[in-house]
Amino acid sequence: MKKQTFIPWIFLLPFLISLSLFFVYASMRALMLSFTNYNLFNDYTFIGIENYKALFRDSNFLFALRNTVFYAFFVTIVQTFFALVLAALLNIKIRGINFFRAGFYLPSVTSSVVITVIFLWLFQRRGMVNFILSRMQALIPSVLTLILIIAAVQTLLVLLEKRRGMPVKILELPLLITSMLIAGLAVTALNSFGIIPIPEFEEINTIWLNTRESFMGIPRPLWAIIIQNIFTTIPTLMLIFLAGLQDVPPVLYEAARIDGAGPYLQFRYITIPSIRPVLFLVLTLSLIGTLQMFDQVAIYGDAVPLQSVITLAYYVYNRMFPGGTLPQVGMASAAAMFLAVITIAAVILQRLLIKSEADR
Amino acid sequence: MTDLQNPDTRAELNFLARRRWARVGVVYVLYLLFMLVFLSPLLFSVVSSFKTNPLDYPPTLKTPQLNPLNWIAAGKLGKAAGGGVWTGGAEPGNEFTFSINYFIEDIENLQEPEFTIPRRKPGAGLAAVKVPTYAADHLGISEIEETRREPYLLESLSGTAVEYTITVTYPEGDGPLLERVPLDILASTELIYLSSTLPASRLERRGRVASFDHIAPGVVGFAFYNYRRVFDETESLSTGRNLFVAWFGNSLFVAIARVVLNLAFASMAGYALARYSFKGRYLLFFIVIASQVIPSQVTFISNYLVLRDGVFGITRLFGVKSLLNTLAGVIVGGAGASAMVESAKVFIMKQFFESLPKETEEAAFIDGAGHFRTFFSVMLPMARPALGAVTILTFQGAWNDFFWPMIVLTSPEDIRTLPIGILYFRQIYGAAGDWGLILSGAVMSAVPVVVLYVVFQKYFLQGLSFGGTKG
Amino acid sequence: MRKLLLFGIVLLFAGFGLTAAGQAESVQQDEPVVIRIQGYGGQDPAIVVRLLNEVIGADLEKDNIKLVYEPIEGDYNAGLYNSLSAGTAGDILYVPVETAPGIIATGQIQPLNGLIDTTPFIDSLIEAYTINGDIFGIPKDFNTLVLYYNMDLFDEAGVEYPTDNETWSSLARKAEAISALGSDMYGIAFQPSYDRFGAFTFGAGWTPFDSQGKTNLMDPAFVSTFTWYTDLIKSGAAVMPSDLGQGWTGGAFATEQVGMALEGAWMIGFLNNDAPNIPFESALLPAADDGTKGNFLYTVAYGINRQTENLDAAVKVLAALTSEKAQQFILEEGLAIPSRKSLADNPYFKNDSREARANKAVFVGSSTGNVLGYQFGNVGTDWMTPINTAIVTVAAGEVSVQEALQAAQREIDEMMK
Repeated sequence: MKKQTFIPWIFLLPFLISLSLFFVYASMRALMLSFTNYNLFNDYTFIGIENYKALFRDSNFLFALRNTVFYAFFVTIVQTFFALVLAALLNIKIRGINFFRAGFYLPSVTSSVVITVIFLWLFQRRGMVNFILSRMQALIPSVLTLILIIAAVQTLLVLLEKRRGMPVKILELPLLITSMLIAGLAVTALNSFGIIPIPEFEEINTIWLNTRESFMGIPRPLWAIIIQNIFTTIPTLMLIFLAGLQDVPPVLYEAARIDGAGPYLQFRYITIPSIRPVLFLVLTLSLIGTLQMFDQVAIYGDAVPLQSVITLAYYVYNRMFPGGTLPQVGMASAAAMFLAVITIAAVILQRLLIKSEADR
Repeated sequence: MTDLQNPDTRAELNFLARRRWARVGVVYVLYLLFMLVFLSPLLFSVVSSFKTNPLDYPPTLKTPQLNPLNWIAAGKLGKAAGGGVWTGGAEPGNEFTFSINYFIEDIENLQEPEFTIPRRKPGAGLAAVKVPTYAADHLGISEIEETRREPYLLESLSGTAVEYTITVTYPEGDGPLLERVPLDILASTELIYLSSTLPASRLERRGRVASFDHIAPGVVGFAFYNYRRVFDETESLSTGRNLFVAWFGNSLFVAIARVVLNLAFASMAGYALARYSFKGRYLLFFIVIASQVIPSQVTFISNYLVLRDGVFGITRLFGVKSLLNTLAGVIVGGAGASAMVESAKVFIMKQFFESLPKETEEAAFIDGAGHFRTFFSVMLPMARPALGAVTILTFQGAWNDFFWPMIVLTSPEDIRTLPIGILYFRQIYGAAGDWGLILSGAVMSAVPVVVLYVVFQKYFLQGLSFGGTKG
Repeated sequence: MRKLLLFGIVLLFAGFGLTAAGQAESVQQDEPVVIRIQGYGGQDPAIVVRLLNEVIGADLEKDNIKLVYEPIEGDYNAGLYNSLSAGTAGDILYVPVETAPGIIATGQIQPLNGLIDTTPFIDSLIEAYTINGDIFGIPKDFNTLVLYYNMDLFDEAGVEYPTDNETWSSLARKAEAISALGSDMYGIAFQPSYDRFGAFTFGAGWTPFDSQGKTNLMDPAFVSTFTWYTDLIKSGAAVMPSDLGQGWTGGAFATEQVGMALEGAWMIGFLNNDAPNIPFESALLPAADDGTKGNFLYTVAYGINRQTENLDAAVKVLAALTSEKAQQFILEEGLAIPSRKSLADNPYFKNDSREARANKAVFVGSSTGNVLGYQFGNVGTDWMTPINTAIVTVAAGEVSVQEALQAAQREIDEMMK
């Protein structure tokens, strides 16, 4: 590495200017403004920690705090978990992986605006989501029968193979495929003879958007955003994990299997440790991203009650450009400081957790 | 070897082979299945964006606009009306026929329906501003003719199907090209609508009125009706520019400018960080990392004010009062740090330069090349893969950027970028439940990145490891 | 090295240069003075642009003034604050009455005293824009609520059309009969928010601010109206627009799934554009069972941006926008009722068209029973939020009337401290 005092600064100049003006100065100024009563139009004065106190009297802020924290942790955990499981499930070297990769990554290429507008449409009262729920409900009897038949046929086949002395497992794949095919045919037949009728399906008219209903204490419109986000992020995360997993030498799994480790133990002691760096990266990025969720709230807009989906990021914007009253830049800044502290704390906390896990 | 002769061993080998094959098969099926599930919202919305009303219930993939039989009918109508097979419309000196089929249970109650060409504006929102040429002022409708009558079974009701036909005439003369020919057909409640030359855009008044937006559309005019509306119905009130085209241009300008600036500045900064040691290097690292963790909601407040009041007065020298509502403001400023040299891109370049062997540079130095010659003529050409990734990632980020442009670009309407424009569509047309226009606008806005993605897939997937998750 | 620096600087300012060039273009000398009017999106652009082009544009062209209308879609007030701050606000601005105190407090609105004669305008409307003797806006027009109904649905249900003499109970009966038409049919669309519901409370004799300036939601008049309104939704006779996937009652009405809706004159233009085939008519709002009607008075004023560089031209435009000719046009296009005293008893009201009848009902509504302004003092529109929440939660059956109102009362008290 070359020691230079002058040259590197020339290279860095544009970056330094923009970084210091639009980041360092901006952060300091936001901190300063959080102690003022600035409203974009007045000559402000310093008012101490009044803004911070006022935040905790503002019900919108408290809603935003709850929504943000729940959203960030729930979405991060759930999407990471499912992506990991999916990646483990699909971790086999196959031809044509590039085609699938291209498909899985597509939702991440399009903008959050496009995706959110599409989901807003899917979540309409007479939209696709309710339609699918209605259909699934109508198919419950058939699905239950299907599962029963699969179980029965599978048991039968496994017993037969056992008799031939084969080392067969309960969920032996070739047999499972056979049982599924048989069960599928059987249920179709039963349906068409009317033995298990497909009932007139009852319309589910769940209102996802403009409602104050909640589920597990979390407003339903926020669940809609959660579903949207998990659904569109899983494929991307899965690809990241898959890339990590395919670098793990198969010998490790082979050895584990010989030592008698089941799928869970393999997952726990080979899969997880070998992709720890990737996992850390993904968790960090997810946390930072979800804590700052803004686009979805802005696009859902007046289609949902503000309190049910407001996040800290949106709260800051909303204080900066509120509708009914004068802007409150001071409160916006104070809330932004709050968001910054939470973000930093979350990243540090999660770093510590991963570390202690590694030390064990 | 001898074991293979043993029938038991062979059976077991077969068994294990079967297990492997089954596993591969299952993985393929799972891949396909999951891909279908995850892409279904996108695919379904693309198909539905063609529908007159994408909120039709129950939702189905059957879209009249994508049915070739309707294309043929639409093309014939467009040709007969004089506007042409593809784009349609009516021109003077042409006439064409249009039929509708009804079911009636008791033929005794049969009453002729009423055909009218309504004086209707092309829609709500911005389209209502334009004063259209009304087809009703130019076209004539012939006497109604009953062209067919036959027994018909509707579900379990037996009755009669009746077909009525009219001829629409556009007399000779110097009338304008009519871009839209709407038609309303009002029938008594006994008549149940079955079908018509083109499917009805909607049934109104509890099924009594079959309403058609355009009965001489041509193939493209029919299939891409919503897409055409995106262009026809969005015009800036102040400048008369087409909004969608303006937004598209703005997005392109911002994206290209950001790509160029990031390529230049990020590679320089990345090189300095990778190859030089200097005082404050660690502090700088710390700040760069912090700039990626601190939420953009912290910095946008000051950045907004900086743009509003002029960048320390420098911009005023150029006669610019405020950088708000300018594309330059979007490019120069930024919600996180600056959009013209992003910390993440600096990181990519730094990592890449670190991976290059030092010998090449040293050779260049020995040859007497200065620091900047070395950088521009030796290092940069070698950095092509990283520059490719930076180009693609910056373009994608800029094209999809939402928060910062939303702060900067508020008025007039034609200064927005596409994502802000789609939000605007959502606000205007979402309240009226007009999802056809919103979805087709959204689909079109995604086309450039998707095309880019298909072509430069490699770079996108490289970018995955740098930061593939979104909020 | 110098080359490099130059390169950076050129890139940095290429963008500035482009926009600067674009802006410099518009300030050429012999071009007309451009006056930008910033107003609502939605229905307004269509009608206002025609007003500018067809009615007042020609006169102003003689004075070398060109008019441009710039609608703000979405949240108008947020957009207005933003553009005032950015310095890109129009020369003439819509100033809605409910947010006027805050907008005026920015100091960006020009007092009009001495610039324009305010005596021809209805006094109570001018008063809403007067602060310490300064007048900050000329009301462009006003609106009240009327009852729109879909004749098809009443015919089909065999129910008599609503009249000007409906009461809450007779309205409820008719609504129930319409909702009996089918599983997805409803008698009336009720917006779960104070900006419509409030009109009923005024009919019951409630006022939003009592003599001490306090809001009392526990007043029996409020509680009984609230119970009636939410019960009607709970019973299925009334429906919230969101339950039909619509954003407002006009949208719900256009789906032909509801028999009646309460809206202002802006509904006429919307229906003519968006649902031209619906056979609608209108009537006065129903009265409380003792025969007292209540209504909101909505108004929007034109204000002048203090930063305008063409104050004289802006004043001229303001005068033209609020002239008799302009107001008559707005009236006949079905947007709002004139704010000029001289246009009060308008011959247009006697026309035999559904539009004229609806406008007449809007006009009569402004002087029938307890009519109150749509204004909440310095608290702004946030004042309504607790009440709106209460309506939705009670209508959805989540909490009792008592609990909901107590919670709303607490929140409003906190707000008004």
